[in-house]
Amino acid sequence: MSAIETASPRASWSASDTAPRISEDWLSVIIGLVIFVLALAVLANVDLIGWVVTTSVWSNFGQALGTASKTYAPLGGAGALLATYAALLAVLSAAAIALKADVRKFALAFTAVFWIAYASWVVGSYASFAAVTPAELQKFGISWSLRLTNEGGFIFALLAGLIIANVFPRFAETIKEAVRPELYIKIAIVILGGFFAVTAAGKLNLATSLLLRGIAAIIEAYLIYWAVVYFVARKWFGFNREWAAPLASGISICGVSAAIATGAAIRARPIIPVLVSSLVVIFAVVEVLILPFLAQTFLWQEPLVAGAWIGLAVKTDGAAVAGGGITESLILAKSAAEGVTYQPGWILGTTATVKVFIDIFIGIWAFVLGYIWTNHINVTSDKARIAEIWQRFPKFILGFVVTFLVGLYLALGTPADVASKVPAAIGEANTFRVIFFILTFFSIGVLSNFKKLWEEGIGKLAAVYVISLFGFVIWVGLIISWLFFSGIKPPLAG
Amino acid sequence: MSQTDIRAELQRAAPEPLLPVEKKLIGFSLGIGLVLLVVLAVINYFVPATF
Repeated sequence: MSAIETASPRASWSASDTAPRISEDWLSVIIGLVIFVLALAVLANVDLIGWVVTTSVWSNFGQALGTASKTYAPLGGAGALLATYAALLAVLSAAAIALKADVRKFALAFTAVFWIAYASWVVGSYASFAAVTPAELQKFGISWSLRLTNEGGFIFALLAGLIIANVFPRFAETIKEAVRPELYIKIAIVILGGFFAVTAAGKLNLATSLLLRGIAAIIEAYLIYWAVVYFVARKWFGFNREWAAPLASGISICGVSAAIATGAAIRARPIIPVLVSSLVVIFAVVEVLILPFLAQTFLWQEPLVAGAWIGLAVKTDGAAVAGGGITESLILAKSAAEGVTYQPGWILGTTATVKVFIDIFIGIWAFVLGYIWTNHINVTSDKARIAEIWQRFPKFILGFVVTFLVGLYLALGTPADVASKVPAAIGEANTFRVIFFILTFFSIGVLSNFKKLWEEGIGKLAAVYVISLFGFVIWVGLIISWLFFSGIKPPLAG
Repeated sequence: MSQTDIRAELQRAAPEPLLPVEKKLIGFSLGIGLVLLVVLAVINYFVPATF
């Protein structure tokens, strides 16, 4: 499904008027699968991507960076960083060519995006920000830390993007070619499927239980949230149907994708889902800055409730899944401080499951709305067609399913000597997933120009969003998450 | 559409009363949603998560 960069003129591939050779959705599937397959070479004792850079919590900068695999340790941290930059530049520039973008402009913009975003991540891994346990504080010779964990670096990347968007808007405009949050997060979600499979393989019954509970999220988002938000927008705020339907989808379903799908389905003017999408991104930023910390404070004893809640409350795939990552790191840190060490991956997996389940039905819901609109409200010869369901289906979910099933088969269906190598192989791919998360956070920040949004005169839209989100969506999401996920704990580590 | 146009449109939009089909859409969505949630909650109660 097209997303914010498709919706927003600020972020569109601008070099050519001709249609891209391939959709961004399919590109994310291809890139994610290529990384996944290259990582699996480890199963044949061939390490193809172990050179990817990884960052540890640091107090001495010289020890901050390293390679994901010891095979490439001689490369050093700086070498790993340069290799990662060069590889991503090459792959994403090829993607830009496929999308018929100006590849030179893209390459320059991506260079800025990568280095600023990764620098933010490295800063976020500084011990005084990231160290959590007393042992870590002692190890780094410090007495106090913000205890954000090294994944607090996502917040730093987001803040860097926000500063650029709101203080240096001309620079934000300059790098817009590479500000692609939805592309980055879709690639990350494809890779996440494999990571989640390895996590789930150890506790298949629990993973199955989580998947079944994801159904509740679909019902909540489409049937309850949407109806209430649409009613609020129409009845209380007096919006006409053309504005209210994309707004309801944006607030209640999956943000940007749903707003655009609904706008197209009801034949709304393109500017409407574009504005709604801008609003969705802004509020997602606000939520990501607040909700993970609330979850850590109030829900740390119910980790999967927290994961599901983030998936239900934060709109846009990028912010939700990345917010799930922050929530996981914060809750794992707090639990560890209390003497309980959970396996990583389950909270993030719950958030991703909820989000993916919701995404699957965007096309169907858009078709239902399109059918009602074109047959009963604005009767037109341009009727909604059943083929639109597939056209609007978010294809990156197919990539997620493929990596999940392949990962699950490799972990459970192969001889022990092969299965034992799977976590290491997926771990290398997962390092790329983290980098795409960083790029997502930074890009979301760059797209969030508060002043520009306000100048566009959408305060009334924002009012609907505030009332619906903080008066309804967050609380109902919490109740439903509690109802279906409370008492279910991630497995203990070790 | 310019920014001024959008602001003006949002401020001066003529009210459109809820059509019966919209009321049905809202009512059926909420009704089906609540019923399905109750069904799932019952299933969740009798078939708890397995570890």
